[in-house]
Amino acid sequence: MNTVSLSARNVTKRYGGVVALSDGNLDVQSGEVVALLGANGSGKSTLSKVITGVIAPNEGRLHLDGRAVTFSSPQAAKSVGITAVYQELSLIPDMTVAENIWLAHEPRRWGIAVDHREMRARTQDLIALFAGTVQSSLHPDALVNSLPPDERQVVEILKALSLQPRLMILDEATASLDSRQVARLFELIAEWKRQGMAIVFVSHRMDEIFRVADRATVLRNGASVGDRVISETTEQELVELMIEGMVAPDSVQGGQLAPDAPVRLQVRNLHTDLLKGISFDLHDGELLGLGGLQGQGQSDLLLALFGAIPCGGQVLLSGQPAHFSHPQQAMQRGLAFVPGDRATEGVLLIRSILENLQLPSWRKYGFPLNMVRARADAGQVAQELSLVMESLDAPVSSLSGGNAQKVVLGKWLLRNPRVLLLNDPTKGVDVRTKVEFYALLNRLRAAGTAILFYSSDDEELLSLCNRVLVLHDGRIRAELAGETLNHANLVSASMGTTNASNGYE
Amino acid sequence: MNSVALRRIALRHSYLLALLLLLIAVGINFYLQPNLFELRVLNSNLRNFLPLIILTVGQTIVIIGGGIDLSVGAIVSMANAILVTLILPESGPTEILIGILAAVGAGLAAGVFNGLCVAYLRLQPIVTTYATSFVYAGIALLILPRPGGNLPREFLRSYRGAPLDIPLALYFIVLAILIWLVLRSTRYGQYLFATGGKADAAYATGVPVNFVRFSTYVWAGLAAALSALALTMNLGTGNPRIGDAMTLDSIVAVVLGGTRLSGGQGGVIGSVLGVLILGVIRNIISFANVPTWSQTLVDALIIIAALAGPGLVRFLRRRTA
Repeated sequence: MNTVSLSARNVTKRYGGVVALSDGNLDVQSGEVVALLGANGSGKSTLSKVITGVIAPNEGRLHLDGRAVTFSSPQAAKSVGITAVYQELSLIPDMTVAENIWLAHEPRRWGIAVDHREMRARTQDLIALFAGTVQSSLHPDALVNSLPPDERQVVEILKALSLQPRLMILDEATASLDSRQVARLFELIAEWKRQGMAIVFVSHRMDEIFRVADRATVLRNGASVGDRVISETTEQELVELMIEGMVAPDSVQGGQLAPDAPVRLQVRNLHTDLLKGISFDLHDGELLGLGGLQGQGQSDLLLALFGAIPCGGQVLLSGQPAHFSHPQQAMQRGLAFVPGDRATEGVLLIRSILENLQLPSWRKYGFPLNMVRARADAGQVAQELSLVMESLDAPVSSLSGGNAQKVVLGKWLLRNPRVLLLNDPTKGVDVRTKVEFYALLNRLRAAGTAILFYSSDDEELLSLCNRVLVLHDGRIRAELAGETLNHANLVSASMGTTNASNGYE
Repeated sequence: MNSVALRRIALRHSYLLALLLLLIAVGINFYLQPNLFELRVLNSNLRNFLPLIILTVGQTIVIIGGGIDLSVGAIVSMANAILVTLILPESGPTEILIGILAAVGAGLAAGVFNGLCVAYLRLQPIVTTYATSFVYAGIALLILPRPGGNLPREFLRSYRGAPLDIPLALYFIVLAILIWLVLRSTRYGQYLFATGGKADAAYATGVPVNFVRFSTYVWAGLAAALSALALTMNLGTGNPRIGDAMTLDSIVAVVLGGTRLSGGQGGVIGSVLGVLILGVIRNIISFANVPTWSQTLVDALIIIAALAGPGLVRFLRRRTA
């Protein structure tokens, strides 16, 4: 394998007015592993997607082996030996392991027929790399949808490897692997390094970065802020780099929790496939934050409480057992859920604002529906939300992202919920709407609504919440409140490092 | 054998259930019609089934690729109208060849048009092909306003033969399956299943998803034209509405053959068995003195049962879980 060097300079990517990456810089060359580090939303994924041609940057340059290059598609990057292993799987469920690995570069006989024997043999060789860490069910003819998540991730890694890349980006590739598979992957990475491959390693796990990386490039707010040689740095220094100068704005700080507020929701040892025992109390009028890196079980927790996914453990609502097997039961007991993906789960984009607001509440309006009253109620909520709209009959798709998100919340307000479950509600919402949204949450809290609030925006949690539970790997890693509720503790607990001062572990 | 292996076999060889159904149906048919396996009867049956078999091969490819083609029946009508208009009772080999080429050309053109609309203009396949079916049906009516037309006797007789005492249709059925197996073994075959299985993942991997989608409709158009040729040679006359019922039949046969309507799975062998099942069931209906007027009802009940099967299993499993 010949040598390779890639450097990204001043890469910028904007989505409308939102800057995902303002000054991304990265250097990597043959025989080294560079870790790409950063808090939520710092631009790690954007930068790696620019390098693999998935995203076209607005500004900036890429130099491959000293020459300027631009990639118009993932194929263009692949053709020069750059490939990536992503967490979102790119496998076809109903095809076999071998077919998936070699899709679009199948070995062929006589120039046309796919050489299945060759394909199987080469697949076997690839799987052998992970021998001992995968079950015998992982063989070339196994269907991908019959494999557990960790083995699918292994197949994904082998698929990238089958292209014999010169530069491989591993984007959270270890998230679903078990510890033996991670160890094996790291051995392989060491071998690939010796063979001259360049590797970019994106991970949330600090310990893994110290095990495998040679250097670390830290991103903060979309800009590269530092480059450290791993052997000469500490976890502490990297965490500080990630959060340096970031001060939580306290302008929207909400009121304090009344000391005698009754406990509305009691959760004991809740577990699902992802959650490994979660316990906490939620009081009336409390805005309890859920923090941590994405995909650590926050969404599962909210969905489990709402009865949308099965769970074990004990949940008490106002002292009564509240184990829901269907969201409708949760709604009847005064729970409301604002989903994370607005477009697919939150609103019916092509239907009117009125219909969206009233969707969970039509039952109240009798038969035939009392449209005058429904319209008046919806109008009142729209006003309360200061919804910027043409009329109640305009489709939700005509609203801006922030206003559409208000509709998602508004439809539950019509039911006067006692417990509000929010799943990252301000993602992709503009700043002004965010502030209005915060004010609304504060009003609801003041009125005694118990709110459980997951956000991928750390600032938001710090400024809004009385208390924040930081989830890591399906467990509560830290409970931060008062003095301990600060940015450094939040980030280090998210990363799973142990230097946070907290009551756990 | 564990359930994973069973599941893999069921997916790879999705026609096993169809084979079982066919054996049962043939058993009943044989009971009602003891001379079923005589060459004359077998030949006549397969001759009647062949047009739908060819048509269903095309439909199967479209469905595996993640689409559906509701215009195949109308393309059959159009090609049939072209054949009986260009080929006259006194036509020689040259005129016959021109007629066949024109019909095949029209079928390909219709497939290209469907493919462009669905793959490159990103129109919804059900609505698009339903709409274009009226275009092709309209062209058929324009060419051949009322049923009629005669073909050269020699030409028709060639379709009724049984070389080496094997029905001619069987040669073509085997040929269709061979073509499919070759197609399946190429990179194109992998692309087809990948596109129907999970188009965005296939795209991210470098599969030319749009081209694959486009090509499936061209295959369907070609199959429809060849189906019309077989049909015309079997009946010896033309009818501008002759293909109307064949669209639904082709979909029923695909479903019976174990190919999933959502794409990415299945195969032509099952579809061929599906057509045979449909045909044998119609034989049974006629021998059991069920009025032919009930045929549509039986068809509809079969497709609903076939569609409901997997869903019903899932529903019951969730109930017991």
